[in-house]
Amino acid sequence: MSGRLPRQEDGESAALRHREELSRQIKEQKVVVDELSNLKKNRRVYKQQPNSNIFFLVDRTETLSQCKNTLDELKKAQQEMENSEKAKMKK
Amino acid sequence: MEAPGGGAAPLSPALVGRLRREHEKVVTSCQEKIQHWKKVESDYEALQERLHTLPDKLSYDIMVPFGPLAFMPGKLVHTNEVTVLLGDNWFSKCSAKQAIELVEHRKKHVRKALDDLQKVMKNFESRVEFTEDLQKMSDAAGEYVDIREEIEDDSIETKGKYRTAHRPHSKPKVSNVFEVDFQANGSDTKSMGRFQSEEELWARLEELERQEEILGELDRMPDTVETNGEDATSSEEEKEDKRIDLNGTYRAEDCITQGNFHKEVTNSDLFGVQVNGSTCYHSDDEDDVDVGDNSVPTIFFSHTVEPKRVRINTGKNTTLKFSEKKEEAKRKRKNSSGNGHAAPDLPNIKTPADIYRVFVDVVNGEYVPRKSILKSRSRENSVCSDTSENSAAEFDDRRGVQRSISCDEATQSDNSEGILEEEEEEGQQQLLKKLPPSSGTTEAFSGTVIEKEPLSPSLIPHPVIAHPVLPTILERKSEEVLSEAPEETTKRISKFKAARMQKTN
Repeated sequence: MSGRLPRQEDGESAALRHREELSRQIKEQKVVVDELSNLKKNRRVYKQQPNSNIFFLVDRTETLSQCKNTLDELKKAQQEMENSEKAKMKK
Repeated sequence: MEAPGGGAAPLSPALVGRLRREHEKVVTSCQEKIQHWKKVESDYEALQERLHTLPDKLSYDIMVPFGPLAFMPGKLVHTNEVTVLLGDNWFSKCSAKQAIELVEHRKKHVRKALDDLQKVMKNFESRVEFTEDLQKMSDAAGEYVDIREEIEDDSIETKGKYRTAHRPHSKPKVSNVFEVDFQANGSDTKSMGRFQSEEELWARLEELERQEEILGELDRMPDTVETNGEDATSSEEEKEDKRIDLNGTYRAEDCITQGNFHKEVTNSDLFGVQVNGSTCYHSDDEDDVDVGDNSVPTIFFSHTVEPKRVRINTGKNTTLKFSEKKEEAKRKRKNSSGNGHAAPDLPNIKTPADIYRVFVDVVNGEYVPRKSILKSRSRENSVCSDTSENSAAEFDDRRGVQRSISCDEATQSDNSEGILEEEEEEGQQQLLKKLPPSSGTTEAFSGTVIEKEPLSPSLIPHPVIAHPVLPTILERKSEEVLSEAPEETTKRISKFKAARMQKTN
């Protein structure tokens, strides 16, 4: 029916948007991890305070590990989403 | 595609589609706002974290921003001193812990905003679903049908009618039909039988009007114009009552929530006491006026013992009582509520003085001009309740004036005062000139202020507003008054008035 399609589209578009967002974040995190891992040892890493222009000095190794963690989490989320979508499709 | 019911205008697919789109717009805007607020909340949380750890070190190495794009390496010192923006460029210096509390407070607000937005979003999402269903319904001809039933107007109005059928003893509320259209307040529950005879109603109305006019013409012969004029007004009750048979069949109790009027119009027979038609007494109603054979308009109080017709003095429309005012008001109301008929001539009451002139009372079988209800009759022969001399004196004077006026306007009537034959002639001459059509042309203030010579210093010597004719009358009046209440007058004249009198003397 013509009435049903829009709703589906809405749901789909939301999922799409969500997936896109996730993939974007994952890309960002990957870049960060790569950059951090490719730094020289004597470089100082600063972390920006959210919503402001202040950067605090942080430990490089610590931040590297943190970023890696976030990347993993994002990847997990994305996978879950894909799995659920596949399950829906199968149904 | 139209819904099968035929009332498909609101369900047209274009409109429904638009409705859905609008709903969706709201939903998306809500989502955006939610995103924004979530970001704000996360920022605050990060800030809290930072503040929590800030005092741990004495100083921090940071990159200090220079303008929007440049940075300088630097140190953050005084780690426990935080300047918090409170809004409107007000800052507060506090410790890190205090700043944390402030941040917590702000987070609360943010959470509240988030909750509200979530609710709104949910609401509109459900609405979107509903409109989609609606669209489906309108599209799908066979699945869902909007059940619509055209209702005739009568069926609603006659709901009460059905009910009365079950009760054999209940009065059919036919009479309400006449009342409903003309009452401003409206008989709310009585509008049941309304539409059943609307046209009959109009026909009846016209018929009554004709009768009114006929009666009015008859009545106008002896110059009692005003009351007839009232009768001829379009008030529903009056018309009903003016029917000659006067059986009150159409006058149901609820018909006349505002009062009944029966009027008798008399001829020049001033003192003829006419029998009430009296069919229309309602205990709840205050005023009843009967239309009798004679022509004097009379208003009877159903609650009074002797509903005598009050005739007298004015000669033209003497018998109308205090209730006349009510009638006027009612008539005006009815006029405003839809009747086209204007009262041609009422007793021409334009001023309060006219009222007193027009209405007279019966007191102990005698006819006295009507007094202001604000003034008690008991004061006629007693000291004024008002303690001031002036007011007392004025009261006496007013009494005199009223009496004189009423006497004057009486064409050849007896006065309850008994005197004033001479002035009557004068007064009549004056007033007859003035009052060819009716007695309503005199104004409260003729424009002349006459100071009278006092008969005695103790009498009413203050300035009097009166016709030129009246001074003589007033003198006599004052004589009367003197005779009536000499003691009081002596007290009441102020020295100023006395001085003035002496001057004029």
